[in-house]
Amino acid sequence: MTLTATRFDWVRQLVHRESAIVLAPGKEYLVEARLLPVARKMGLTDVDQLVDQVRTRPRPDDTRQIVEALTTNETSWFRDGDPFTALTSTVLPALQSARGPAERLQIWSAACSSGQEPYTIAMLLEDAMPHAATRVSITATDLSREMVERTRAGRFTQLEVNRGLPAPMLVRHFQRAGSEWEVSPTLRRMVGARECNLAAPLPRMGPFDVVYLRNVLIYFDLPTKQAILRRVRELMRPDGWLFLGAAETTLGVDDSWSRVVVGRTSVYRPLKGA
Amino acid sequence: MSDLSDAGLRRRAGDLPPATAELVDEATVCEITEQAWLALVGEDEVLVPLPAPLPAETLSSWVEIVGPWTGAVVLTCGRDTALDLTRALLGEHAPQEVEQEDVDDALGELANVVGGNVKAVLPGPSVLGLPEVGTTPPSGREADSVRVAVLWRGSPLTVRVQSVLAERENEVPL
Amino acid sequence: MTVRALVIDDSRAMRRIVSGTLEGFGYETRQAGHGQEALDVLHEGWVPDLCTIDWNMPVMDGLQFVNAVRANPAWRPVTLMMVTSESEHGQIVRALAAGAHEYVIKPFTADAIRDKLALLGLLPQEVSL
Repeated sequence: MTLTATRFDWVRQLVHRESAIVLAPGKEYLVEARLLPVARKMGLTDVDQLVDQVRTRPRPDDTRQIVEALTTNETSWFRDGDPFTALTSTVLPALQSARGPAERLQIWSAACSSGQEPYTIAMLLEDAMPHAATRVSITATDLSREMVERTRAGRFTQLEVNRGLPAPMLVRHFQRAGSEWEVSPTLRRMVGARECNLAAPLPRMGPFDVVYLRNVLIYFDLPTKQAILRRVRELMRPDGWLFLGAAETTLGVDDSWSRVVVGRTSVYRPLKGA
Repeated sequence: MSDLSDAGLRRRAGDLPPATAELVDEATVCEITEQAWLALVGEDEVLVPLPAPLPAETLSSWVEIVGPWTGAVVLTCGRDTALDLTRALLGEHAPQEVEQEDVDDALGELANVVGGNVKAVLPGPSVLGLPEVGTTPPSGREADSVRVAVLWRGSPLTVRVQSVLAERENEVPL
Repeated sequence: MTVRALVIDDSRAMRRIVSGTLEGFGYETRQAGHGQEALDVLHEGWVPDLCTIDWNMPVMDGLQFVNAVRANPAWRPVTLMMVTSESEHGQIVRALAAGAHEYVIKPFTADAIRDKLALLGLLPQEVSL
C-alpha cells in the first residue's frame, strides 16, 4: 500500500519548508517506512491517518516528529558539513586572535540531541588547536532528559558511528565499548550536558563565543522564534557567532543580527547597539 | 552459575579460554542481531525476544572465529523463514526468481555481519572465517554458549555464540 | 559526469544491495566477487572513481586488494572504501594505514553510504534521502 499523491505531496512540502530537504518523487515507500512508527506511536494504524490528522489539526510536536523521522537529522555526524568547516576555517582563527591565550572559549550546542553535534565540535577543536581540552568548554543542551543522558554517556551504536563520521576521526577519538563505541575521556571532559527548554527563560550560562542553534527555530511560530533569538543573544559575547540550520535565518525574524557568509554557509553575529 | 565457577577454576588451571558467557552476554548478542536486522533487512524489522521451537526443517549459517576465543556464531531458522529473509534483505534489489543459492548467500552474509560484530566484542586479535551454510551446523560445546532466541515476523530464529571443543589437549583435568 | 564504482564482495546479496544503492545515487557500477577479480577489472582498463571493498573474501581479501591498488601509481585517484563486518578499532586502523580512505561497518543503511560519499565528495547528484 502506498501513499496517495496528495498526501505524499503534503509531506514533501512540509519537509522542504521545515528542513530544506527535497524528497524526490518515488520516495513514497521511504515516507511510509519512516512514518509508520510515528503513526503507531500516536495510536494510529497507518501513515494515511497520520497525514490526515496532522494536516487538519497541526501541532508543533507532531510536525516535528514527522520531519525528524524523515530527515534522520539526529543521527548524523558533521551534519551539513559547512557549519563545521566554517568553525575551523573562519570562526576559530577570529576568536583566537580576539581572545587572550588564557581565555576559555565557550561554545553552546543547543538542541544537542544524542550528542553528535557537541562531540563533532569537540573533535574538530581537539584536532585544530593544541590543548583544546583545557581551552574550550562546550555546553550541550536538549529539551529531553533522555538525550541529555545519552550525550553525557558519549556512547554510540555501530549504526550511529556509521553516519557521516570520518573513519580517521572514529579511530582517533573513540574506543570500542562492548557492541558500542565510546568517545574519549578527553572529549567527554570538554562537553557538559544539561536539560534546557529554549522556549522558556534560559538558565544562567555562557557567555558563549559560538552557538549552534540548528533546526530548532523552524518548529516555532514567529513570536517564539523572536523570543528565542533574543534570549540566545543575551547569553552570547558581543562578537560571538551563531549558526542556524540550512532552512533557517534571522532575516525577517529579528533584525538585531548581521549575516556573514562563510564558504557555503551563513553565520549570524549580534549587531552592535541593536 | 556453574559456568562461572567452572571458568574460574579452568583459568587457574592453565591458559584455557574463559567461558563464552563471561565474554559476551545475551543482551549484546541480541543488540548486535537487532541492529543487523534494522539496517539490512528493513527499518521496521524488529526482533521480538520470545523463544519458540524451531520447525523440523531448518537452515543454518555460521562463521568461525579463531583467536583467544575460538568458536562459531551460528544463525538458524526455518527454511521458509530463510527464503523470506532473503527477499527482505534484497528488497528492491531482489532478482525475479530467488534461487537456493541466493538464500544460502543471504543467510551466510547475515551470519558474517553478526559474527563480525560479535568478534569485535570478544578478546582479540582473532580471525573471522568465510560464512558457511547447511542443515547441520558445526557441533560446539552446548554448555559453553550464549544462545539468543527471537521471533522475526512471528517466525523463530536463533543466534548461538558457541566455543568449539577444539583440540584442548592441554586441558588440565579438574 | 558519470561516477563509476566497483563493488567488491563475496556475497552476491551484498553486491546487489551496495550496487543498487550506488546506482540510486547516479553511479555506474560493476561487481567483483573477490580482490583478484577486482584487480582484473582494473587491469582491463575499467578504472572506477570508487571501490567498495569487503574484507573477508576468498582468493584475495580486501586488505590485500587495498595494498595492490596502492602499489600502482596509475590507480592513485581511485577512492577506496571498506564495507565490512570487521569492526574492531585495530582493524579500521590497519585498513586506513594500508591506504583505504573510508570505512563503513556492516550492518549499514543506505544513509550511511550516502553520508560517507558526501564526506568523500563523491555524491554526484543532489540526493536528499
